[in-house]
Amino acid sequence: MEDCMEQIFAKKDYYEIRLESIGGLGANLCGKMVGELAVRYLNLNSAGFSSYGSEKTGTPVKGYIRFCPPDREIRVHSPIVNPDLLVIFHQALTNDQSVWKGCSARTQVIIAVDQGQEEAALDRLPADIQTCYAVNARQIAMETKSRINVVMLGAMAKVMGFVAPEHVRQICRDNLGRKYPAALEGNLKGLDQGYAQVRTVRKYPETGTKKEASAAPKDSQEWGYVTAPIGGVNPRAGSTVTADLSPSRQGYVPVFIKERCINCGLCDSTCPDMVFQFAKGTFKGKEMMVNRGLDYYHCKGCMRCVDVCPVNALVRGVEAEHLEKQYFLPNQDMLRVPDYYVKAGPDGYVTSESYLTEKRMEGGEV
Amino acid sequence: MEQQVTEYASGNEIAAIAIKQIGYDLMGYYPITPSTQIAENLDDMRAKGETDLIMIAAEGEHSAAGICYGASVGGGRVINATSANGLLYALEQFPVQSGTRYPMVMNVACRTVSGPLSIKGDHSDIMFLLNAGWPILFAHTVQQVYDFNIIALRLAEQVRLPVVVAYDGFFTSHQKRRCMRFAEDKVVRQFVGPKKEPHPFFDLDNPVTVGSYMNEPDIINNRYQLHLAMRQADGLLPKLFAEYGALSGREYNKVEGYLHEDAQELLVLIGSSYETAKEGVDDMRKHGRKAGAVTLNVLRPFPEKELAAACSHAERMLVADRQDSYGAWGGNLSLEVRAMLQRTGGRAIVKSLVYGLGGKDFFAEDAMHMLDYAKDPKSPDFDYYGVTEGTACGDGDACQGNFFAPLTRERTMIGATVVERDNAGDAQVRGGTLNATAAMPKRLAPGHGACPGCGIPVNLNLLSRAIEDPIIFLFQTGCGMIVTTPYPRTSFKVPYLHNLFQNGAATLSGLAEICYRKQKNGELPQGDIIFVMVSGDGGMDIGMGSALGTALRGHRLLLFEYDNGGYMNTGYQLSYSTPKGARSSTSHVGAKQYGKTFFHKDMPRIMAATGIPYIATAAESNPTDFIRKAAKAAHYAKSEGTAYLKALSACPLNWNDMPATERKVVAAGVDCCYFPLFEIERGVTRMSYEPDKTGKKIPVTDWLAMMGRTKHLCGEAYKEIAESLQREVDRRYQSLQRAAENRM
Repeated sequence: MEDCMEQIFAKKDYYEIRLESIGGLGANLCGKMVGELAVRYLNLNSAGFSSYGSEKTGTPVKGYIRFCPPDREIRVHSPIVNPDLLVIFHQALTNDQSVWKGCSARTQVIIAVDQGQEEAALDRLPADIQTCYAVNARQIAMETKSRINVVMLGAMAKVMGFVAPEHVRQICRDNLGRKYPAALEGNLKGLDQGYAQVRTVRKYPETGTKKEASAAPKDSQEWGYVTAPIGGVNPRAGSTVTADLSPSRQGYVPVFIKERCINCGLCDSTCPDMVFQFAKGTFKGKEMMVNRGLDYYHCKGCMRCVDVCPVNALVRGVEAEHLEKQYFLPNQDMLRVPDYYVKAGPDGYVTSESYLTEKRMEGGEV
Repeated sequence: MEQQVTEYASGNEIAAIAIKQIGYDLMGYYPITPSTQIAENLDDMRAKGETDLIMIAAEGEHSAAGICYGASVGGGRVINATSANGLLYALEQFPVQSGTRYPMVMNVACRTVSGPLSIKGDHSDIMFLLNAGWPILFAHTVQQVYDFNIIALRLAEQVRLPVVVAYDGFFTSHQKRRCMRFAEDKVVRQFVGPKKEPHPFFDLDNPVTVGSYMNEPDIINNRYQLHLAMRQADGLLPKLFAEYGALSGREYNKVEGYLHEDAQELLVLIGSSYETAKEGVDDMRKHGRKAGAVTLNVLRPFPEKELAAACSHAERMLVADRQDSYGAWGGNLSLEVRAMLQRTGGRAIVKSLVYGLGGKDFFAEDAMHMLDYAKDPKSPDFDYYGVTEGTACGDGDACQGNFFAPLTRERTMIGATVVERDNAGDAQVRGGTLNATAAMPKRLAPGHGACPGCGIPVNLNLLSRAIEDPIIFLFQTGCGMIVTTPYPRTSFKVPYLHNLFQNGAATLSGLAEICYRKQKNGELPQGDIIFVMVSGDGGMDIGMGSALGTALRGHRLLLFEYDNGGYMNTGYQLSYSTPKGARSSTSHVGAKQYGKTFFHKDMPRIMAATGIPYIATAAESNPTDFIRKAAKAAHYAKSEGTAYLKALSACPLNWNDMPATERKVVAAGVDCCYFPLFEIERGVTRMSYEPDKTGKKIPVTDWLAMMGRTKHLCGEAYKEIAESLQREVDRRYQSLQRAAENRM
């Protein structure tokens, strides 16, 4: 293992890891553990940080960890552009082009996949990636009563090749033992399974020709100092309507059973995301506002509507079983419906509730 | 050298550890990103019994600075931490602290100060402090944050000046790094030594006056004393650095350089970028360029001689500024470097670039590009680095025209909620049913970034479906604002303005008055417009003065408060509306602390004392009542004066409960009378909903049990706290009922 590290640092100054995840899967803690692991047990220097923003669940997050030999300082403070190891915490993220930014032939990739989804995820793998691994993180997390982040931690330890299993178990104990003593055993099992079950899904032979890093997708920034209205004034009223919020869903959607609906409007009063499309119509011969359907493009799957519906006209359905969304309606107030505004598919990023449920069960760690 | 241990910590984390080890008496603070973690971590240590630091969560940075000032006059050892707009809000206090010569230490995690709000790092806040009379140490590594915190207090007390330890927000405050700290607190305490008080304030036998009224000829002498203290600090720092170096093995200088001794081209920059720039310098050297980098560990007193020595071989210098002194053609660092060269006879050609504003990342390649810029004889001596022109509106989806038709008066006058005055002059509402008001076009577009299940958009929709006149929104800083206006997008389909949360109500006063004047002058069409300020309970803490002032003046506008009981946007710090006993990131629960120590604020009754015509509370669990009150509030806001409406607002993330069932949690908050529904219309209180009279009243603990943040209060260990909360809730509720019975 020492040799392995020497080889790495003979070629370059840093070993760089980028985590691609979504708020709620625990990538932040995972990154912290990896960084601390290097300092405490691998005789390395390390530095780590996350992408920063408002404190919100359900948004994509990135984590960055750099290693270098212990006698050197990590001087760079900028995000990791060309990772040696890219860890994707959910297969749905492979759709996002920014996830692949700066990857090259030497980048090793680990993807958390669901059973049966492996092929789809591999299809989206850029051609110049030579080495890719997969692990059924959600399934392992559920079986071992652990979290996706420890499963990924185990998989990372295996793929990195210079981490002894006992060290990664120890860092897990250090970090989780005190905060979640009851869950430690399960987390260690999840970690072990991640280590054991991560498997190679692509291994191209070394071609010898050094491939350039993938061209970074062009930033879609449009307004600059010449074209932006002065003072940050934004004349594009209601423009968040272009944002696809379906990735916020946690694997469930409200399913509308129109025959049961009494048009009471409670769903519309509790929905934070303006999903319900009421319009003038008749119900039981009476003129009133009638629920025509749901805008799934903006539904975050909070299930508030299901909870308040007095007649079970809205029920919780597993998103994967409702690929065709009945009564899907784009926001009816729009003057034009952009062509991307199509039926928002079953691509919930977070398909396990384990993290949030655990947090809530324990009365919350804040 | 003393024994040390390795930590893997961020700048904020290690600052908290240093503060704990020093053994300060008191911290006065107000949460602001990215410095908040210092208070959060210290509060966690307090809860565990690792420190007995008195921690006072002020209602704003101005007060926090006041708390610190008072405590330092009293002879306490005092610490503060802040950033950005918070620093500026407290600005007037800093010359008071330095001018009356009371030492303390303040950590500044530097963040941009801007009009369009940004939370990311640059140096535009710290540079406002250059003239405050505080020595400023600038740490560019996590290790320095620790070391400088310890050195700062010693410096402060020896020269009797307050001292700032500044470092980059996020880049240093949040990046975790390997660093060392002393194994034992007593080593740190021996270094800082015992505190001396030249004029003990509590010596009642020898009373002193602090803060005289002073004019000429005395003030210039007082200022000269301050100037002399800066001189003293300048001479003392090398000694302190040396002494600390002997203790820790880390000896600092006021100015630090990398391959600078023989460098012909030098990059001068402060903060974390200096570290990154070293990589660029290495690359330049590989290409045969004699490049180097220099940084300042001390901004005040300005290390002129040391900097001149470090730059003595440079032919070309590029000063990279992470802020601009607009109109001076350089940031403050460049201006001072240029002045230094002039005074020390330096001959180097200096160029300046403003870079990295609002946290724009700085890569090693940027350092190289900057040195190339300096070398180019044609490049101007001052410019911005990394700006983009933008593209003309072309393929972008947003350029294809408006997404929504304007919400004209005709479209919103749906007649679903009608308000009229009765004979007694009270407002009466007809309609307001959920079905009928579903016809109201939403004032907010979907696609905002609130967490799944968030109560804020729910409350905004309930509020605005009741208002049939055109609405103009002003949002104070908070979750509601952040999630709806992520540039270059906005959720608002109606005119919208943001201002910082200590000033929203005042801003709306000005906005509304101009509209009314224009209508009067015929510059705008007649017709009612409803001006609505939206604030969280946090904004109603720091902005309470502004809101009360607005109410007292009686402007025709509506103040709407969504109360989720905490500063949720910044990671849930306690607000004055957080329930007593609740866990938050600044009121941890542990062996020595049970959560928040004081009761939730009764804002409606504070507002009632201003005598405004309409005050009400509303909850989404009683939606028709909510809609009717919103309609009434709007009616009073357009016809009579200020109206105030407050809604309990769910926060699944920080209440720690499930998004789906939030309406039930809100209902329980109402049914236990923690959040009673009532209105005070033209001075008369009316109960809207009395669960005790219908057998629906539940104990407060039934509600507390539903949320992770308060669940612990239902256990035996916290029985007393829960009981005291129950008593307070009952007392307030009964007081309301008595007022209602007596038509008060």
